[in-house]
Amino acid sequence: MVVGEITEERDLVVIGGGPGGYTAAIRAAQLGLNVSLVEQSDLGGICLNEGCIPSKVWTYASKKINEISHMQNLGVGVDSSNTVDLNQLQQYKSQVTTQLRKGVESLLKTNQIEVIQGTATFTGEQRIGVENGHQFDHYIYKNAIIATGSQAVKPNYFPINSEKAFLAEKVFQIEETPEHLVVSGFDYLALEVASVFHSFGTKVTLVTNDDDSSLDADLIKELKRLYKKKKIHIVNQATINLIDETEQGITVNISKDGEEQQIEATHCYVSGERKPNIDSLGLERLGVRLTETGHVAVDHQMKTSTPNIYAIGDLTEGEPLAVKAIKQGKVAAEAVAGENPEADLTFLPFIAHTNPPIASVGLTEQQAQANEIHYKVGQFNLGANGYALITGKRDGFVKVISDANTDIILGVHMIGEGAVEMSSHFVQLLEMAAKTEDLTFPHYAHPSMNEGLVEAVEALVGQSIHTPPKKQKQSKVFEKTV
Amino acid sequence: MLEVKLHDIGEGMTEGEIVNYFVKEGDSVSTDQPLVEVQTDKMVAELPSPGKGTVKEIVVPVGETVQVGTTLLYIEGVGAKQPEQSEPELVKATSETKGLQNRRIQTKVNRVLATPYTRKIARDHNVDIEQVTASDPSGRVTEEDVYQFINGTTTDSEPKQTEPTKPVTLELNAINQTEQETIPFRGIRKTIANKMTQSIYTIPHVTHFDEMNMTRLFQIREQLKQTGDNISIPAFLLKALVITLKDFPVFNAQLDEENEQIILKKQYHIGLASDTKDGLIVPVLHDVDRKSLRQIHSDMKAITEKAQNGNLEPQLLKGSTFTMSNVGPLGSTGATPIINYPETALIAFHKTRKLPIYNEQDEIVPGYMMNVSMSFDHRVADGATAVAFTNRLNELIENPNKLMLELV
Repeated sequence: MVVGEITEERDLVVIGGGPGGYTAAIRAAQLGLNVSLVEQSDLGGICLNEGCIPSKVWTYASKKINEISHMQNLGVGVDSSNTVDLNQLQQYKSQVTTQLRKGVESLLKTNQIEVIQGTATFTGEQRIGVENGHQFDHYIYKNAIIATGSQAVKPNYFPINSEKAFLAEKVFQIEETPEHLVVSGFDYLALEVASVFHSFGTKVTLVTNDDDSSLDADLIKELKRLYKKKKIHIVNQATINLIDETEQGITVNISKDGEEQQIEATHCYVSGERKPNIDSLGLERLGVRLTETGHVAVDHQMKTSTPNIYAIGDLTEGEPLAVKAIKQGKVAAEAVAGENPEADLTFLPFIAHTNPPIASVGLTEQQAQANEIHYKVGQFNLGANGYALITGKRDGFVKVISDANTDIILGVHMIGEGAVEMSSHFVQLLEMAAKTEDLTFPHYAHPSMNEGLVEAVEALVGQSIHTPPKKQKQSKVFEKTV
Repeated sequence: MLEVKLHDIGEGMTEGEIVNYFVKEGDSVSTDQPLVEVQTDKMVAELPSPGKGTVKEIVVPVGETVQVGTTLLYIEGVGAKQPEQSEPELVKATSETKGLQNRRIQTKVNRVLATPYTRKIARDHNVDIEQVTASDPSGRVTEEDVYQFINGTTTDSEPKQTEPTKPVTLELNAINQTEQETIPFRGIRKTIANKMTQSIYTIPHVTHFDEMNMTRLFQIREQLKQTGDNISIPAFLLKALVITLKDFPVFNAQLDEENEQIILKKQYHIGLASDTKDGLIVPVLHDVDRKSLRQIHSDMKAITEKAQNGNLEPQLLKGSTFTMSNVGPLGSTGATPIINYPETALIAFHKTRKLPIYNEQDEIVPGYMMNVSMSFDHRVADGATAVAFTNRLNELIENPNKLMLELV
């Protein structure tokens, strides 16, 4: 036998140990398959180690800082001023990510999943090579799930080797609180970064082009109103031409209304486009087809054009979100095991842990108009919610859009405390194709933010209890022009 | 390995019957080579091979009816085994995968309304839930709707209702045990049902009857036959019919209620109601007014043959402006035919009988008499016009020499 030649055949090899990959591996093991997982770096992927989880440590800290002044109103003793010790926060983040990573390792172990360290390449049909330093081993598989994720691409205008310019999740490795941070983008991460650093005491300038956003226009309007109230400076309809590093900090050159402008700052953040990590996989050897955008083409069971090869997560089209990868990982594993699952991204929620947070699912008012749907809008402002008053989180609203002909709810958009936890409720009601009565019939905990939803639904018919009569008119009916 | 699935060939088909395979397991096939012949409720179509390779396995046997999306056969050697032949950069989406990606993006608005559990039932039965009709007026597809779709509209539930409870008398018991069998109500049968229902519930029908003396027509036919021209009686009838339609354009018309107008068609595309082993099919003979008797005769023959063999091209099933039903060869002396919606009228020619009739000299002589039944849309035309129509037709058929006057 040749050294490194492995004769054992695996039912399934999963390439990539991020949230999609390890979920797929565990589900496949639960269904009785013999599974190996290849990871070139840390288990948990970008999400656990650099992205979603660290960013949530930061947004949580930011949320708590915002609560300090309110705590003082309650007479709860808080001595600390509104600042943050970044060193300690980084340590805390490391504790959290380490503990979660160990949790994943332990789960893989107890599910008897072999973890192979290294970088995987398809070397032929049913054969995969894994490179780890000087070692190169071959493995034979019946099925493979590719879950290698994506990475942010530096835009042309981005400075090379600058310690003051941060791309995507790298911003959470920052060691000092910036004095003035320019944030570029209107995606969830850019919005979170603006929100976080503002609460850390940084002067924040948000350079954006929200016309590109697919969020509901009222939601964008409310978010911008709240940002402006906090003195986050927003430069809208602007594009960045160049970012220069200077001795004092950074100069961001932008175009706005056809004019060139310069913003002087100490640091900057850019979300950038995300590109699938497929270059080293050797997919062309297997004839795996890609889409026009360079993503791996898949069907509703994550099958690629090549038999027995599946792809999930950021490699595939759609939003590069862990929530998508996790579901697709389960679907791919179940399909490999011979079940008949389906991944459908129609009601994938948009979530941002901003202050206040955002959750948005389904049709926006603009989409309803564009599709000439005869629709109704019900909106409830959280200022009138009892629990919002108690917690001092009175900003924001819940907005519900329904089909005026069939009464079926088409979209739910919320900015306000509790939006993230309530988002599952929104997704579920949309998946169940709920009508007004389906939401007004059940009971809602009192007092709680949940009541915001039922009041918004009641507002569809002008019956929100905590909305004065003349403001009930907020609910409007879009009449199709014939 | 590539799966060849039954896909929607057009007109929103949901299922098809496998008529014939052109290939067998082990055969090499090239791209676009016809693989299988499928009968839908409207036509027979061939599915071409999506790629090059060897037929590995044929899954669905001939004669079976399957849903759209069912895998029919597998071809090996496409894709995976020929990576060298492909371009190095495979940045092209197949129409299939691309369609899937597109569908996902579109469906935010268009996706059919159904709970995840209902979706799973559809998936597990290989049913595209987007094809299921919702019984709920607000468009929500229920579990029941999916099962209904799976079972077609067969009377599956009915035998259950007649399951004997406690027999009251012996006689009742005997009745309950009456055997019954069910026929699938789908395909052509269901299409016919839908069309007939639409017609009868939309159009106020009137049918009037007349009789025509065919004696001279038979004589002319015999004379022509002796000189070597074999023209069938229906060809003459069709010729006479189109001439009459030109005189009475209101019967070669379509009522457009929405725009409050009656559209008089200037084309004379005549539907020929044909009885086939699968049921009523109406192939269409186009531009009959521009055809000679000889041409009409041979076209009719060809089209009827195609209908019998079930290999009518889709365009031969579309666009009729008036329908003729030559039911005579099967028998009958009268009927109240249902109009081929959205046309205005339909005429049926019944059995020709040899009867004693009076000639002009008041002698009783043998003659050939044929009854006709003409149904028309009373919204568009009145009884007097219809009678004038059959009178004119009668004139041409009883005096076939007059057909000559209509030569262009």
